[in-house]
Amino acid sequence: MSMEDYDFLFKIVLIGNAGVGKTCLVRRFTQGLFPPGQGATIGVDFMIKTVEIKGEKVKLQIWDTAGQERFRSITQSYYRSANALILTYDISCEESFRCLPEWLREIEQYANSKVITVLVGNKIDLAEKREVSQQRAEEFAETQNMYYLETSAKESDNVEKLFLDLARRLISEARQNTLANSAASPLPGEGKSIGYLNCCNFN
Amino acid sequence: MPGAGICGCCGALRPRYKRLVDNIFPVDSEDGLVKANMEKLTFYALSAPEKLDRIGAYLSERLSRDVARHRYGYVCIAMEALDQLLMACHSQSINLFVESFLKMVAKLLESEKPDLQILGTNSFVKFANIEEDTPSYHRSYDFFVSRFSEMCHSSHDDPEIRTRIRMAGIRGLQGVVRKTVNDELQANIWEPQHMDKIVPSLLYNLQHTEEAESRSPSPLQTTEKEKESPTELAERCLRELLGRAAYGNVKNAIKPVLIHLDNHSLWEPKIFAIICFKIIMYSIQPQHSHLVIQQLIGHLDANSKSAAVVRAGIVEVVSEAAGIAASGSIGPTVLEVFNTLLKQLQLSIDYELTGSYDSKINIGTKIIKEQEERMFQEAVIKTIGSFANSLPTYNKTEVMLFIMSKVPHPTLQHNLETGRLRDIRKRLIQMMLLKSLLQVTIGFQCRNMLTALPTSFLDPLLSAALMEDAEIRLFILEILLSLIDRHGNRHKFSTIRLIDDISVLNLKVDKCSREDTLFMKKHSQQLYRHIYLSCNEPTNIHPHYEALYGMLATISIELANEEVVVDLIRLVLAVQDLALNNEDNLSVYNRCALYALSAAYLNLISQLTTLPAFCQHINEVIEVRQKKASYLLPEEVFVEKPRVSKDVDNLEMEVVFLQSKISEVLGGSGYNSDRLNTPYVPQLTDEDRLSKRKSIGDTISLQIEVESRNSPEREERAPAEEITFETLKKAIVDSVAVEEQERERRRQVVEKFQKAPFEEIAAHCGARATLLQSKLNQIFEITIRPPPSPSGTITAAYGQTQHHSIPVYEMKFPDLCVY
Repeated sequence: MSMEDYDFLFKIVLIGNAGVGKTCLVRRFTQGLFPPGQGATIGVDFMIKTVEIKGEKVKLQIWDTAGQERFRSITQSYYRSANALILTYDISCEESFRCLPEWLREIEQYANSKVITVLVGNKIDLAEKREVSQQRAEEFAETQNMYYLETSAKESDNVEKLFLDLARRLISEARQNTLANSAASPLPGEGKSIGYLNCCNFN
Repeated sequence: MPGAGICGCCGALRPRYKRLVDNIFPVDSEDGLVKANMEKLTFYALSAPEKLDRIGAYLSERLSRDVARHRYGYVCIAMEALDQLLMACHSQSINLFVESFLKMVAKLLESEKPDLQILGTNSFVKFANIEEDTPSYHRSYDFFVSRFSEMCHSSHDDPEIRTRIRMAGIRGLQGVVRKTVNDELQANIWEPQHMDKIVPSLLYNLQHTEEAESRSPSPLQTTEKEKESPTELAERCLRELLGRAAYGNVKNAIKPVLIHLDNHSLWEPKIFAIICFKIIMYSIQPQHSHLVIQQLIGHLDANSKSAAVVRAGIVEVVSEAAGIAASGSIGPTVLEVFNTLLKQLQLSIDYELTGSYDSKINIGTKIIKEQEERMFQEAVIKTIGSFANSLPTYNKTEVMLFIMSKVPHPTLQHNLETGRLRDIRKRLIQMMLLKSLLQVTIGFQCRNMLTALPTSFLDPLLSAALMEDAEIRLFILEILLSLIDRHGNRHKFSTIRLIDDISVLNLKVDKCSREDTLFMKKHSQQLYRHIYLSCNEPTNIHPHYEALYGMLATISIELANEEVVVDLIRLVLAVQDLALNNEDNLSVYNRCALYALSAAYLNLISQLTTLPAFCQHINEVIEVRQKKASYLLPEEVFVEKPRVSKDVDNLEMEVVFLQSKISEVLGGSGYNSDRLNTPYVPQLTDEDRLSKRKSIGDTISLQIEVESRNSPEREERAPAEEITFETLKKAIVDSVAVEEQERERRRQVVEKFQKAPFEEIAAHCGARATLLQSKLNQIFEITIRPPPSPSGTITAAYGQTQHHSIPVYEMKFPDLCVY
């Protein structure tokens, strides 16, 4: 008997410079709205969305972090338990792109080594103000072994795709792990604890 | 509604626990929990605890469904039922039930509805307050920590709801801490991954007080807890957390605090940082408080290249924290703390002088503000003081020694570094360290001077190397003053004046203890010498004389026995002679000041000894001075614009305190007049001989004293004897070998020497040796060819004299001759 309402549970953490649109991406995905005057996130924000992929219920626990430097210590503490990280930058802001190596260092330092990282260039609705070319970003993502996607939270471009692709990737990753860990490991959704990661033994 | 719906034919097929659970839900959620049925369920659960997990699972299933269908009334009812079941089942079986309970709480916390979040938190808090006796192997609170921390940062648009969510978050964290802190099997809450979330969340709320005032009381729940602000709640939670921290956990708990303060740049206004650490210090177990200080110090070290204001903030916090740390709780690393503080002090001086954080690369990336560095230095000094004051006496002595050992001594590397900048740096460091030392000594109440002031401390402090700079000299006097003064009398002597009746000062006097007597036996000569030489400094200004007066007065009060009083009187008379003879060409002001100083002190000591005859003599002289030479009295000298232009060279004998007169009156009252009759001669040290401060004039005056001291028949000998090589040779032979014709005189001398303290004898012999040396040097300089027959002792030394390599020569010679 399973009373869980999901088959998989994944923790996704959004990171990136302040003002690149992390909160808007999450809002767009979880609530379907684009809050125009979104203020700066304080510390961390939390959202849940359950999606269905090939008949399997996948619960996404999305932690949206503050980009501001002063909250760095608390946001870092959330990387560790993440299954996936969405590293966001603003295509109309060169600076946010240039900070990416710094963010990658943080990931290396604080996140799980098996974490899946996706690079997201947001705000493609501001195409005329674009400062970072798609090609450049793609090349960068390739060198860092990351998936790359361009989105617009405002126009809802690629937002669904971003999260769904990520969920699919996480599922296949989790399956591999389950197989690798032999049949002894608990089946998805029949985890022992309430917390996280009971389905995909990353740890 | 759902329960009622299944009540048909298939209802009987359902397991009993499901029926019981269904029955607690009313038809209309507005009606609330069905009390009677709830009792039945509770009774069933208690009588069949093995069914608890199924009850829990079923309840939670229903709850999930209700949440998904937005039937919040039923959600509340389910939670209420869960709470009641939890409370009722204090048994071991609770373990089975808790799992589904926590799942439900998590479910509620995942919801976006603030009310559900708060509901879930409240249930969790209730659960957290239940003490379980069986540990649980498979419970994870990670999600709760993450979620509650997130709630603490809530940025909900409605300020009232925001406050409620934040408070719920704080209480949730408190609950997690309570639940896990004592459970060894739990994922360790003290791990950095949890602490890094919990602590900054609490601090964030502690920091934001502004919303607290504007909040109107919540209409839903107005319990006591609900009324307080997130700030207060966060503070309470932080205190609870820290109060539970064991030795190994303190570090993990404090580190996030430091990082938070760094990130939010809260060291600068430092009010918050101080509040934080006050909370920490007061709530942490006292035996661990030194760890906090250690960590702060470490943080200071890590920040040694940060802006001065940041460092100053940290240091200020250390100072506050050290004040709170109970004295017994100082850890084994006291000196390490002081080492770091002193290191920072030196670094800051370097920054200030070079204007850069890195002496090698002079890129003006960071401009160093001198003013800020100064403030930082002051803060460090203050901290050293407050830290030292929280230490027990033996530690303080240790610290004093440690600081003293760090004071650079210029004579040791005089030739090595001569750069101007180096000199300035050295002087600044000396000043800073002495200032620190002064801070340490303030409030230092030692019982036993002997252990508190060991030779290894006094020697460097009183060394001549530190006497040349007027400011440093004043510091040393102040340090000595605050060390010697144990009854808070010193401020009563802060101005030099003639006191008509000392009873108005209301002095606190204890009898001089045995230890004090011992101390004076051992070190008095050193102190006298220091006072004497300090008096003779031409760079002295008003504060110096005040400090000297204070020194003399406090010694007389704190450490005086009969012998010391006699010695002090001798010393002061010698000081008067300094002004009278004026061998060192002191300025008129300096001389007047010395006259005034001796007058003020003799006035004081005469009243302290309560000898009418002594008082009378002193008063007579003072009265004469008032009439004829008021510029020799403190009231005239130690004012803003002293009138000192008078002629001080041809004074009449009536205005001078006379040794013979004083020894007469004191001898009449049982004081050792023999001793009083002999003039004071400062004890010389090796260092003195090395230092260039010893002028020829000094030597001659010493010689006179030596000669007169050695001969009982003073009149027979000319006071200023011609010094020839023959006399010198004679003198050497005197001190080295036995001469038949002088045997009789020697016996007398020995007799006399038996009465004098060892130091003084040594001083005499030393003085004589010095005299010989300097005269020899003089002679060697004048006569190019060496004299034909020097005695054996000199031969070795003499060859070197020509090369002017003085140290070896001078160090060897006195050793041989004096002892």
